[in-house]
Amino acid sequence: MAGLAPPPAQKSLHGSLFSPLARGQYAALAWVQTRIFVNSLRTKRGGFELGARIVAFLVFGAVATGPSVGLGFGAYFAAANNHVAGISILLWILFLMWQGFAALAPALAGQNPELTHLLRYPVSFGSWITLYLVYGLAAPSTLIGLFWTTAIGIGIAVARPQQLPWIALTLALFAFFNLLLSRMILAWIERWLAQRRTREIVTAIFLFLGLGLQALNPAFQSRNGLLHRLSHQKAAHIPSRVWTIQSLFPPGLVTSSLMPATHAPEPGRSQSLSLLGLYTLGAGGLLALRLRSESRGENFSEAPRVSSASAGRKVRRRPVLDFSGPIAAVFEKDLRYLMRSGPMLYNLAAPLVMVVVFGGAFRGGQLSRIRGEYALPVGLAWAFLGLVRLICNNLGMEGDGIQFYFLSPTPMRTVILSKNFFHLALFLLEAGLISTLIVFRFGLPAPSIVAATLAWLLFAIPANFAAGNLLSILMPYRVNVVRIRREPGGLGNGLSSMLTQLAILAAGALVLAPCAFLGHTWLAAPIFLVLAAISLFVYLRVLDNVDRMVQSHQESLTLEIMKTG
Amino acid sequence: MDSPAIAIRDLTRRFGPFTAVDNISLDVAAGQFFGFLGPNGAGKSTTIKMLTGLLAPTSGHMELIGLDFATHPLDIKRQIGVVPEGLALFGRLTASEYLRFVGRMYGLDRDTTNHRTDELLDFMNLANEPKKLVTDFSHGMQKKLALAAAVIHGPRILFLDEPFEGVDAIAAGTLKAMLQRMTERGATIFLTSHVLEIVERLCSHVAIIHQGRLVANGSLDELRAGVAASLTGPQPEEKLTLEELFLRIVGGSGSGTPEEAVQELSWLA
Repeated sequence: MAGLAPPPAQKSLHGSLFSPLARGQYAALAWVQTRIFVNSLRTKRGGFELGARIVAFLVFGAVATGPSVGLGFGAYFAAANNHVAGISILLWILFLMWQGFAALAPALAGQNPELTHLLRYPVSFGSWITLYLVYGLAAPSTLIGLFWTTAIGIGIAVARPQQLPWIALTLALFAFFNLLLSRMILAWIERWLAQRRTREIVTAIFLFLGLGLQALNPAFQSRNGLLHRLSHQKAAHIPSRVWTIQSLFPPGLVTSSLMPATHAPEPGRSQSLSLLGLYTLGAGGLLALRLRSESRGENFSEAPRVSSASAGRKVRRRPVLDFSGPIAAVFEKDLRYLMRSGPMLYNLAAPLVMVVVFGGAFRGGQLSRIRGEYALPVGLAWAFLGLVRLICNNLGMEGDGIQFYFLSPTPMRTVILSKNFFHLALFLLEAGLISTLIVFRFGLPAPSIVAATLAWLLFAIPANFAAGNLLSILMPYRVNVVRIRREPGGLGNGLSSMLTQLAILAAGALVLAPCAFLGHTWLAAPIFLVLAAISLFVYLRVLDNVDRMVQSHQESLTLEIMKTG
Repeated sequence: MDSPAIAIRDLTRRFGPFTAVDNISLDVAAGQFFGFLGPNGAGKSTTIKMLTGLLAPTSGHMELIGLDFATHPLDIKRQIGVVPEGLALFGRLTASEYLRFVGRMYGLDRDTTNHRTDELLDFMNLANEPKKLVTDFSHGMQKKLALAAAVIHGPRILFLDEPFEGVDAIAAGTLKAMLQRMTERGATIFLTSHVLEIVERLCSHVAIIHQGRLVANGSLDELRAGVAASLTGPQPEEKLTLEELFLRIVGGSGSGTPEEAVQELSWLA
């Protein structure tokens, strides 16, 4: 028998990012992604996903284009007039929006890749991190950020064409830093949310930051506040201490690098760029630290350690809901799932944090009274947002467990009804918190507005659940409960659910606005009640047909919810 | 005569042009330990999926416990337990939470569910890690939990798709004893497994499916007699084992014997 030949690939395992093995792996992954995409087009669902992707691209393109024109012109005028503070403000806007989108709107953060399936192959860590960043490049927040960076770059370059290479170099490094930072933040948040202790700490930090910003809001909004004063001062008069502090951060460093003539001597450009490079290295280092554990096979799911004292001892049972029956069983199971899923809690909390953070924007100004009056309906409409993914894909978290529902004697109608109860409870909780905040901030709205809002809710809740149940059965996708990611196959569902939300909101606005304009706001409530009766009827019809629909879509449902990767 | 626990007539399942299960008819008597065998891709799991309501047949008729599956799916599901291919577990629950959830979904009251949960966790040796989530269990532990969930409501028919795969020898012994006791008390067990020694030891009757068609069905002695009758040369001196029977019934269609097939892989060290 022939002896064992030395494995030829061994040498290249530890090679560079672009070793033949690594290149082969990239090519294989690209090929497999292409095949998955092409194969997905064989089904109607795949075609719909492609259509949804194109629509989403156009929407994001439109969202990105408007501000980019403003940023480009702003950058041109600031650079042409040597308005250093103007450039700095634009760069801070870009920086905060890029990082804010990535951290607070997971749908915009893009796919946080699940690369653990690569663990079985000889993929080097360098290749691992490269792939992670390549996926990050495709995130909407990154694409929008890059678009805006390019717009700012063009604006400055048109004003100062002789500095084009330097501008390009500086902004390219700034964009790379933003990419690394956003992926690093998301990766760490995801890890922290996966463990109970750190999840509690992250929640506390979020609340603290949210409330802290809320407390700062009056300072920005009052007539004597900082923004008001700033608007009446020339940027050159920004307190020197604030200017010094901001210049130590990446947007400030980019400003110093791009506009050296007035604020820094010539060598300062290189120093600023070097410091920006250090920031980039720091963000990259922290990202590498996080991904290193993951690439070594870290178990990402929550695995609470069992203390030796508790091991072997029976757990004292405290049922979450002290009543039996399938409805309570599903309700309790979903509650446990939610409490153990940091990313899902994060999705729920993010809109709430946005309300807390930006709630102050409703105050002040000439239209303050009107905006305060409508804060309640707007806030409650906003409360639906955190629940959209749950309501419109209510079987997505089940994973392999979806099969159990088909095996059990409990009709799917009961399962879906229980999920609707659960989501209703979550909505009421979220709506209660937002209402409390709004009343605290703006006082009690007029009774006619309260009545119209409550009547609109009676219409919106069944309408949401009817559409959500349909989408959950017809366009399901598997939700990874331990990762923050835009789920593969979820775009069509996401787009349809957002259109549903828009339709429900539009119905509200189309009723409320004319009534208010004519001075008969009280008239909106009975109109909404009529709409509520219709939406309740539709909801009940959908619920009655759940078993039939599930039966006819059982295979695709099982396939979508159980599929991995 | 009692009606069979499982009665299948002309069961067919097609996936586009491919026929996974082709016109199968089969009876399984109540209290039988029934082995359903076949090579990979033969149609075993597809058949089990149809019998348990996970997959709708293209055509044909199924009766379980005397009830028509097409008209009484929920009544049947109350009386059957299943360990499917994918195990159907909820990964983010603990074992105890999962079993209590399953018990309630089968309509057991809370006290009965809690009592049976405790007993099953002890029996399956899963009670010593009360806080561990199912997703963190080893494959063998997950399989034991899936088995526990399949029996918590005291089913009259138990469908098991590869129940011993990944289960350690001690646990496998305990499970076999449990399954045998169930059949002694009148339950019917419908089992698929690639471990033919286990099937031979446990099952009183066996059916073999190959390329979607039923190619053998009966007790082991009946299968031996069938194979012997088909032989043209000298008859074997000793009783054929199930593995030998299986290879003679379905093995002839491959690329020769396993030894001959390995000869082809000359590059393999």
